[in-house]
Amino acid sequence: METISVCEVKKSFKVYFDKGNMLKERILFPNRNRYERREVLRGISFVCQKGEAVGLIGKNGCGKSTILKLLSRILRPNEGTITVNGRVSSLIELGAGFHMDMTGRENIYINAAIFGLKKKEINARLDDIIRFSELGEFIDNPVRTYSSGMYMRLAFSVAINVDADILLVDEILAVGDVNFRKKCFDKLKEIKASGTTIVIVSHSMEQLYEICDRLIWIDNGLIRMEGDTRQTAGAYLDEMKNERG
Amino acid sequence: MGRIRELVEYREMTASLVRRELRGKYKGSILGFLWTFINPLCQIVIYTVVFSMIMRSGLENFNIYMISGMIPWFFFSGSVLQGAGCIRAHANMVKKIYFPREVLPVVVTTFQFINMLLSFIFIIAVVIVEKGRFNPVAWGYLPLVMLTEYLLALGLALLVSACTVYFRDLEHITSVLLMAWVYLTPIFYSIETIPDYLLPIFCWNPMTPMIEMYHSIIYYAKPPETAALAQAALSAIAFLVLGSLVFGKLEENFAEEL
Repeated sequence: METISVCEVKKSFKVYFDKGNMLKERILFPNRNRYERREVLRGISFVCQKGEAVGLIGKNGCGKSTILKLLSRILRPNEGTITVNGRVSSLIELGAGFHMDMTGRENIYINAAIFGLKKKEINARLDDIIRFSELGEFIDNPVRTYSSGMYMRLAFSVAINVDADILLVDEILAVGDVNFRKKCFDKLKEIKASGTTIVIVSHSMEQLYEICDRLIWIDNGLIRMEGDTRQTAGAYLDEMKNERG
Repeated sequence: MGRIRELVEYREMTASLVRRELRGKYKGSILGFLWTFINPLCQIVIYTVVFSMIMRSGLENFNIYMISGMIPWFFFSGSVLQGAGCIRAHANMVKKIYFPREVLPVVVTTFQFINMLLSFIFIIAVVIVEKGRFNPVAWGYLPLVMLTEYLLALGLALLVSACTVYFRDLEHITSVLLMAWVYLTPIFYSIETIPDYLLPIFCWNPMTPMIEMYHSIIYYAKPPETAALAQAALSAIAFLVLGSLVFGKLEENFAEEL
């Protein structure tokens, strides 16, 4: 069953030379509002099956993250269609809506609600989330007292326990210490095994080898190559090596 | 219609953000939640001094008259003003995760609405202290009047919040307009004292029938006039439709513009 289907998607951004948002600036410096359209995606099509893990690779600025944002509906395509069947959760923004003065537990409710969970669903997952975060008794302390590692662990634990049909991951498996990272990775595999489709952007080939069934190599807004993880990654790495000369 | 259904699906998000606003706003301050009351109380004391001692209005029981208009006005102006900045204030969330964007203005309006409900304790206290009359039948209309005002405030909050993303000055323009608007609404004086040539402004002001209804219920202890209710409801619905349409149109590019 196809959970994601992307068809001939094009996306361009307005790139302002120097954007003036204030009335004064608009009137005084009309030239500042000149912009050019930069095409980031120039016709991308792919499908993902249920339970499949697909990795996106490519140079910086090739449009990988834009694809994830389009899939999560934060951005809309200029042309083409995107069909996504099921609940999407993203490990793109961690800790959305966290309030520093509220406790970890209170923030779990806010954060999970932003992912679209109902109160009942949050209650059912609460223990899992707290256990996963390894925060223990600190869960009832205000988040402002947390170290940055604790903060990220809590945020990650909420995002990964949402039980989505589609999980989007953007380059953030660098959370916490080695053990916590390992745990996150195992959890990701477990989620995949339970039938969730995963789309992952990463520059770490080891991570991609371990979890992906397939890679899509994006180059200059187009799909350059698509297929077996090791073959695609090999071709990509060769090209990068050539560029370095 | 699809958007309304989605908004309902995200009701837990709305609820928990409202709770966060209510609880988080005053955390760390000594008087905490009491500030919700102290702030309007101080304003009301100031206005009372000004309008019943310095500039006499001639209305008997002026305090009841004023407070029954002030508190609904605070709800309205608070929603519009805070609404103007609400998308930009949550730029990080809007840029990074998906949720129906309408949630943000709805949260602002609901938060201000709850503040108004709590402030009604004041109104009741003032009516008792000043020995005003209570008419239970008239008070029965209050939920309907409040709902109408909620829809109007939400409509305007949707409108200005979306436009501010593209045009930041609107936030400041809104605050100036609200400053004038409060005096173009019969809150500190009765509509009878307005000269004829200014009446059209008051007739077109959607807040005029709104505040008149609160006056009617709380100050005059009479049910609101049907004409005022109809006018208020019509303008509320008009603004809500306009606000939703504009918001729906502009919301597609929020993430890019912020």
